[in-house]
Amino acid sequence: MNASNIMTTGVVTLRRTNTMLDAIKLISVKQIRQVPVVDENNKVIGVITPRKLMQAILPPYVADGTIADVRFAPELPEFVEKIDSLASKSIDDILDREFVSVGPETHSMEVAALFVNAKKPVESILVVDDGKRLLGIISPWDVFKRLWEYSGKKK
Amino acid sequence: MEAKLIIAVVVFIAVYGLLIWDKINRAVVALLGAGALVVLGVLNQEAAVHGIDFNTLGLLVAMMAIVTICQKTGMFQYLAIRAAKAAKGDPWMILVSLSVVTALVSALLDNVTTVLLTVPITFLLTDELKIEPYPFLVAQIMSSNIGGTATLIGDPPNIMIGSAVGLTFMDFVLNVGPIIPLVLIGMIVPMRFIYGRKMKVSDETRNRIMQFNESEAITDRALLKKCLVVLAVVIGAFIFQKPLHLEAATIGLFGAAVMFLITGDDLHHVMEKAEWTTIFFFMGLFVIVHSLVEVGLIKSLAEKTLELTGGDMKVTGMTILWVSAVASAFIDNIPFVATMIPLIKGMAPAMGGPDAVMPLWWALSLGACLGGNGTLIGASANVVVAGMAHKNGHAFSFMKFTLLAFPLMLISIVISAVYMYLRYFMY
Repeated sequence: MNASNIMTTGVVTLRRTNTMLDAIKLISVKQIRQVPVVDENNKVIGVITPRKLMQAILPPYVADGTIADVRFAPELPEFVEKIDSLASKSIDDILDREFVSVGPETHSMEVAALFVNAKKPVESILVVDDGKRLLGIISPWDVFKRLWEYSGKKK
Repeated sequence: MEAKLIIAVVVFIAVYGLLIWDKINRAVVALLGAGALVVLGVLNQEAAVHGIDFNTLGLLVAMMAIVTICQKTGMFQYLAIRAAKAAKGDPWMILVSLSVVTALVSALLDNVTTVLLTVPITFLLTDELKIEPYPFLVAQIMSSNIGGTATLIGDPPNIMIGSAVGLTFMDFVLNVGPIIPLVLIGMIVPMRFIYGRKMKVSDETRNRIMQFNESEAITDRALLKKCLVVLAVVIGAFIFQKPLHLEAATIGLFGAAVMFLITGDDLHHVMEKAEWTTIFFFMGLFVIVHSLVEVGLIKSLAEKTLELTGGDMKVTGMTILWVSAVASAFIDNIPFVATMIPLIKGMAPAMGGPDAVMPLWWALSLGACLGGNGTLIGASANVVVAGMAHKNGHAFSFMKFTLLAFPLMLISIVISAVYMYLRYFMY
């Protein structure tokens, strides 16, 4: 069993030329964890994740963890303005270029290992071909469900 | 002998050059220099190890461990918020109260940790008040270096001087400490004239600060109690260091061990956060400076200096104060102090023995610690705060900082010089 068996195809994507407003609308309509951003050749250049969006809203000294716990402050400054300004930002500013991807032939156990051992929390793993073109997307549950079903059949 | 002398001098100059060039990790530079001296036969390994002051290293490691555990409690954020609320949310008064808190905390803990933990709160406060953080950052950088000067454990130069000469915590508090509040005032008053009047905010904005709940900043009350107990005992032991006949590293390491025992913190995990670069930098430097002593260079330098000053206490003291201040503004004060210590020790016999030259140590401490305020690269706290400012979109240049800080540093040295003169050199 490899990545191409467990991935979800027909992934919703955004183009680099889209605005952040497009991205936010898309995320609020569709129930998705992250949106891959592709260029005109369907080549993945990055992903937009809720984590990145929140990082963009929070003041840097909170987002980078220097004050990780802000319970003592009743309201963080300029919160509303920051959300408003988010819509006018370009996709390039918010894009997370350090996404995790695998090839279609990657074994599903290797995909599972990537989820567990990734340096930063991975929301989903992209499946791409040799030319970095997007084929599908795998969520942690996709992997686990398939492994569970597989062990059921073995019995 | 001649060849060893030349090698030692060449290695010393190369190490200083590489440190100023600042492209290679400073610990790597110091260890390369130390290693070269042993490999080239200037010192054997035994002599090299003999040069390393384990009292300094032990105290540094111990304080790093204690601070790493303490900072998890949120006590530093608590203090910063308390300071802001005590100032009733008024921007200028917040600057003053944050300066005082920063100076006090820096006197007992290391300066970099103090600014690392309190400056983020400064950003939050100035964001709430919608005012420029720059004056606050300058005030906090300078207060951390000023406060650190007051005690044995406040700043690395003092740890080195104290260890090499056998000075206690209270020796520093009683000889350097008394002038520190005045030095702090000497920094704050000019700031008032430059920035004070521009800091006006509405009552509504001030109220936002007053709504902060500082007790929420304490993240672990049980741990806080344990930390406060250990800190109190450690500082108490430092205050009574002389009657207890204990070296600083003994107090620090014993305190750290007790801290690990009662908090149950994982030693490996905590020590990962210690600044090993600083520790290994010290090790290498001690070996390099020791080689200069061994080859007799320091002795002849001391004789030359005595010739120039004529062995006059006042002239020597003032020279050390001013040269240390200006040098520390541009180069790391740690290698500077490491070199000055054997030099002053070498001059002591001709100037009336170890007790007679005591004022020279206070001059070195004041000059080296306060001089760090002179430029953006003068002390580690300056570099750290500049980095944080850059990350948060409030970057300031070397020149912008230096044009304000260098004159303020000179004021602090003038105050120190007057103090030194009145207390030690007048009669």
